Amino acid sequence: MRVVVLVKEVPDLEAAVKVTGDGSGLEVEKRRGLNFFDEIAVEAALKLKESHGAVTAAVGASAGAGVEAMRRAVAMGIETPLLVDDPALDGADSLTIARALAAAVALEPTDLVIAGKQATDDEAGLVGPMVAEILGMPCATRAIGLEVEDGSVLVTREIDGGEEVVRLPLPALITAEKGLAEPRVPGMAGTMKAMKVQIERTDLAALGVQAHPVLPVVAYRTVGQRPPVTMIEGEPADAAAELVRLLRQEAKVL
Amino acid sequence: MNGLYIICEARGEEFRPATYELLAAARAITAATGGEVTAVVAGPEVTLKAKLEGLAHRVVTLTAPELTPFSADSWVDALAAAIGAGAPRAVLFGEGGRTREVMPRLAARLGAWALSNCVDLRVNGGGADAVGGSTGAGATDGLGGASAAGAAAADGGSALEISRPVYGGKAYVTNLVPADGLLLAAFRPHSFDAGMAPAGLSTAAEEVAAPVAVSRVELVERREGGPRKADLTEAAVVVTGGRGMKGPENFGLLEDLAAALEGAVGYSRALVDAGLAEHAYQVGKSGKTVSPTLYIACGVSGAIHHIMGMDTAKVVVAINTDPTAPIFEYADYGVVGDVLQVLPALTEQVRAATS
Repeated sequence: MRVVVLVKEVPDLEAAVKVTGDGSGLEVEKRRGLNFFDEIAVEAALKLKESHGAVTAAVGASAGAGVEAMRRAVAMGIETPLLVDDPALDGADSLTIARALAAAVALEPTDLVIAGKQATDDEAGLVGPMVAEILGMPCATRAIGLEVEDGSVLVTREIDGGEEVVRLPLPALITAEKGLAEPRVPGMAGTMKAMKVQIERTDLAALGVQAHPVLPVVAYRTVGQRPPVTMIEGEPADAAAELVRLLRQEAKVL
Repeated sequence: MNGLYIICEARGEEFRPATYELLAAARAITAATGGEVTAVVAGPEVTLKAKLEGLAHRVVTLTAPELTPFSADSWVDALAAAIGAGAPRAVLFGEGGRTREVMPRLAARLGAWALSNCVDLRVNGGGADAVGGSTGAGATDGLGGASAAGAAAADGGSALEISRPVYGGKAYVTNLVPADGLLLAAFRPHSFDAGMAPAGLSTAAEEVAAPVAVSRVELVERREGGPRKADLTEAAVVVTGGRGMKGPENFGLLEDLAAALEGAVGYSRALVDAGLAEHAYQVGKSGKTVSPTLYIACGVSGAIHHIMGMDTAKVVVAINTDPTAPIFEYADYGVVGDVLQVLPALTEQVRAATS
């Protein structure tokens, strides 16, 4: 059984984000790491390595970055890292990323693809299901439980307003929600291995991937600060009364 | 082609508010750009189509039996055919679990652009105040603010612009919706005001019964939660409890206030990680993203993880014992005090004011 994890390197949550003077671009502080939900996906794959002898790989798509995320995946225990590294992936459309990842996954017969539910930078959740569609695989998003059966997987997943259990024939793609697995902290041996690992690289031409055009950007803007907070003083009863008055008369939301 | 498609979605026997919001936005935009508003209803929701009378130029119903109950495989098939046949400029979805299953796969199949988390769509050159009026405070200040001052587009062409937060709301990006090519976009609840454009259109009906694929995914079991569970991302008011709530014995205080405001209850990561609340109710980066009209943070410190889940709320109230808590930087109104004392008083005042 071959399990492939889709990984994305994202800016640290605390990284500073600045809009360049004329609003034409964004400067994001270079503190990067493996996406939160992808770590969960990696852990889910490693569980299958331990319980079912699965062979594990990680694929990423990036322009001149992505090594940090790959090293983390390897340090945790992923065996084969593959990076699609191509200048055309800089600021690329989600569909281009999905096509690149799908082509990289398809280099070898694959039984299960696990992606994070979304990345913490754009929170879009697009690429995982796109890869499923491109590869013709059934897809279950927001998995919180995974059991491998003979030729299928049983997935418990969050849905709006509840949970459901579904069975998908393999090969299939699932996306990892918080709760699917608790990511391990890499040990010393894993970390040493990750530092020395040769990350295999390929590019869009080698994979035969056509880029999808980029949606034109009009402008970037920083979030307008909310007006300074109005602090309400007083004993709980008085403060509550004043707050309700402001919510009704000033904010007009009650 | 300037048409806009709205993929309608229901909760129980009524369409989501987002459906009406998107229909209104589409009516406002097409009034300026020309083109028709098409409401698409599929599967179990076809029975609700009468509610769309007057709200769109056309209602397309997809009636293949495989569409009931919802399954992504069948829906992607049916929607791809309907969208392909109509060649709209953009297809608008309400953000939510179902959209996140269907929209990306449709984009991959149709070779379309797809954007999640959108909060504004407007006609370039000033239509924004007509179209983006009710976006969250952060969004309005950051984006709509510039356009709110502008006059309505007289003949601003038909260029459409679409905006969304990135990097956890630290920045907003506005993209141009190209005149040729197809864009699929998912909008957060409360991005538009459902009353922003007059209804009363003459609505044509069209039924598509074309066969669709049978789902490859077998549904084994579905457990629907209570109404509160369904409401969190949809609710106009969200009351969230953090560490300051101490423990579950006090969660009733949150529920009382939420009930008085007809809102939903959420919990911070601290409470979920401590095993005191369920992840399904968690607000923040690793939980739900909410975009309500009123957000009340009760004993929440305001770590960046939390802010990412609520930064497009329109009005934010924070209650915390610590006057230096970061949450106050993201709040419109702040009360320094013990939530366990402030909450009952607030609930009482809300009840008195709204009864």
